[in-house]
Amino acid sequence: MEPILSVRGLSKSFPGVQALDGVNFDLYPGEVHIIVGENGAGKSTLTKCILGAYIPEKGEIYFNGERVEFKHSRDAIEKGISAVYQEFNLVPYLDVAHNIFFNREYMSKIPGIIDKKKMHNEAKKILESLNVDYINTATKVKDLDVAEKQMVEIAKALSTNPKIIVFDEPTAPLSSREVDAFFKKINQLKESGIAVIYISHRMHEFEFIGDRITVLRDGKYIGTVNIGDVSDDELVEMMVGRSVSQIYTRTENKYSKEALRVENLFDKKGNVIDASLYVRKGEIVGLAGLVGAGRTELVRLVFGIDKIEKGSIFVNGEKVIPKSPTHMMKLGVGLLPEDRKEQGLALSLPVALNIVMVSLRQLFKKYFINKKKTEQISNKYIKELNIVTPSVNSIVKYLSGGNQQKVVIAKWLLPDPDIIIFDEPTRGIDVGAKMEIYGLMDKLASAGKAILMISSELQEVIGLSDRFYILYEGRIVSESKKGELSEQEIGMKMLAGR
Amino acid sequence: MRDNYILKNSLKQLFSLFGLIAIIIISSILSPRFLKIENLITILRQSSILLILSLGLTGVVLTGGIDLSISAIAAFVGCTIAQLLKSGMSIPLVFGIGLIVGGVIGIFNGILVGKLKMPPFVATYGMMMVVNGLSLIMMQGAVIYGLPKKFTWLGVGYMGSIPIPVVLAFLVSLFFIILFRKTVFGAELYILGANKTAARYSSIPVDKNLILIYGISGLTAGFAGIILTARLDAAEVAMTDVFGLQTVAAVVIGGTSLLGGEGGAFGTVIGALILTIVVNIMNLTGISSFFQPIVMGVVIIFTVFIDVVSKRRQ
Repeated sequence: MEPILSVRGLSKSFPGVQALDGVNFDLYPGEVHIIVGENGAGKSTLTKCILGAYIPEKGEIYFNGERVEFKHSRDAIEKGISAVYQEFNLVPYLDVAHNIFFNREYMSKIPGIIDKKKMHNEAKKILESLNVDYINTATKVKDLDVAEKQMVEIAKALSTNPKIIVFDEPTAPLSSREVDAFFKKINQLKESGIAVIYISHRMHEFEFIGDRITVLRDGKYIGTVNIGDVSDDELVEMMVGRSVSQIYTRTENKYSKEALRVENLFDKKGNVIDASLYVRKGEIVGLAGLVGAGRTELVRLVFGIDKIEKGSIFVNGEKVIPKSPTHMMKLGVGLLPEDRKEQGLALSLPVALNIVMVSLRQLFKKYFINKKKTEQISNKYIKELNIVTPSVNSIVKYLSGGNQQKVVIAKWLLPDPDIIIFDEPTRGIDVGAKMEIYGLMDKLASAGKAILMISSELQEVIGLSDRFYILYEGRIVSESKKGELSEQEIGMKMLAGR
Repeated sequence: MRDNYILKNSLKQLFSLFGLIAIIIISSILSPRFLKIENLITILRQSSILLILSLGLTGVVLTGGIDLSISAIAAFVGCTIAQLLKSGMSIPLVFGIGLIVGGVIGIFNGILVGKLKMPPFVATYGMMMVVNGLSLIMMQGAVIYGLPKKFTWLGVGYMGSIPIPVVLAFLVSLFFIILFRKTVFGAELYILGANKTAARYSSIPVDKNLILIYGISGLTAGFAGIILTARLDAAEVAMTDVFGLQTVAAVVIGGTSLLGGEGGAFGTVIGALILTIVVNIMNLTGISSFFQPIVMGVVIIFTVFIDVVSKRRQ
């Protein structure tokens, strides 16, 4: 069979970076081809070249055996290449149907008037085929949640009847039920001969949908392998370029006294119901559960972002009613939020100011800021956490995801809290940075910090936690020590609460 | 360059400075009288009230907000203190009351925006109408004039050859430059403007800071109202109408982003000077005052255009 898309010797550079360096890539009809690599490996640059968003400096792209040179993303769309990006490209105040057919609206006989009925019917068909017909085509996109928006993006990409479709981390915002429906759809697409390029960090997903994997590292082509031919460890080794003896290493710690205790906690909206847990110093405690099980809501109560309805919280043995993050920070509690761009960072400000953000009032008691001190402290953390940035004054926006996450971590290490809550600490970052963060969490626990960690990656919870709780529909349904439950048992409790 | 914050910010202020220098050069060519010392001092004096008003606003804009009520507050404070001075109250006391009145109205704005989470545009627009209404009721259409000489010295006096309002505007500028650049509170304003949610998660007291900066904006407006009253030796409801939204223009021309998190007080000084010089040179060259708003509008649109284009480049 001839490949539908063939890339040969593709190179592209940006000032100071060789983003792609002679990359080869073949895509066959009816294949799901996964591209993996650390952040900055060149995955996005490669797909953007294929989509006509970037113009490569060297190399050729063949579409159906014919050499093509896309000057604009329109050229790629005309050939039948469409994409679902990580960031949403939807118009919030238009309804779902209109978003799906945006710029390609069905017109009625009267010029300038949209045929709404036809558009809604067609939109409905696509949503049905995605198994998400509960999304009303007349709802405005701004009223949808993140997962629903993602499904609309996918519907939009499918509505052009593409021959090649590119997904960039498509499952990140989806719940497991939606992920299942989405995978079914991908398998359908495969059967109908559509070729799929799939970028993802989530290795556990690959076996369900993928056929082949191409690995990139530092802009270079490392290799292409069939799924099933390599183990996860081998794949990680290809990605990071060094051997992975153990991803999750934990030091044996002695737990001392209790740092955080939550008793019979309820929130005001019914997302947290009668939750009780405790974390000791020197311990990493996991919080597992599906998206929407109430994990984030629970820690938001503890950190004083939302008000509690009923129940008690004890910090170092003293009962507290959390008033605000300011209040809890003073008591030695820190929270690294799940969404680093929305909740963690001031993206347009420099690295240094982001690092001292939490500690400004502690560091500079006399109201005046000492710029030198700020930079010294920031440099210390940049070195310690191995943050890759041109300087302390670089704007955080331009750092890679992993390095941004390390800035968030640095920001919370600086005030030296006793209790640190990590909400999805490794979401959307590459394997290398992940391992560094795991190592850091282990070190913090060894230093006597009490760590509470939320993670949607089951392996992470199992591998890192000394003890973990499982939440199901707002309730804690299980508490277990490391190794007490099998993966199946954990999965069952997460999915069905028993 | 695009990823270095310090470089990027100083370049932006440098651009405003270049704009100012360009306008000065053009003006000196257009009129031989422009560079005369007396004229330069006139420009500084004319810009002083606008500058003081705009400096308070700058802090609010840094947080991504806006304060449309400052001109109304300045007028209200002006009318209030004129009444009090007429009743024979001592000047320091009246001065203090004027500042407090401005500050309190500002704090109300801060509560509407910070605590009640109202959009700043709507909250301060409403406040503008309320304060204007209060001025109307208080003044009953009257104009108060003939204020104590010791008081009007604040507006018409000199220190050496420098008018007092210029000295005061200089001090207020210095205060705000230090406040924004060198203090914890200033740094927190930038963080607030860049991302309020992240600021809250980072244990920065967002609500308190907002209340404080709107309070400072109101207080500064009150101060401007006092100086203006002294300078005019009169107070009436419409005394600040000439400023309109020039304050916002001065802030934006100075390079402070209306989206927040970017800019500073030094830029606002340049912005206020640019606006004042444009009016000054039109007067010197005898351009009809009917045309002046058009020129002003074009200057404002042009500066913002340059800003938008340079951003798109990035």
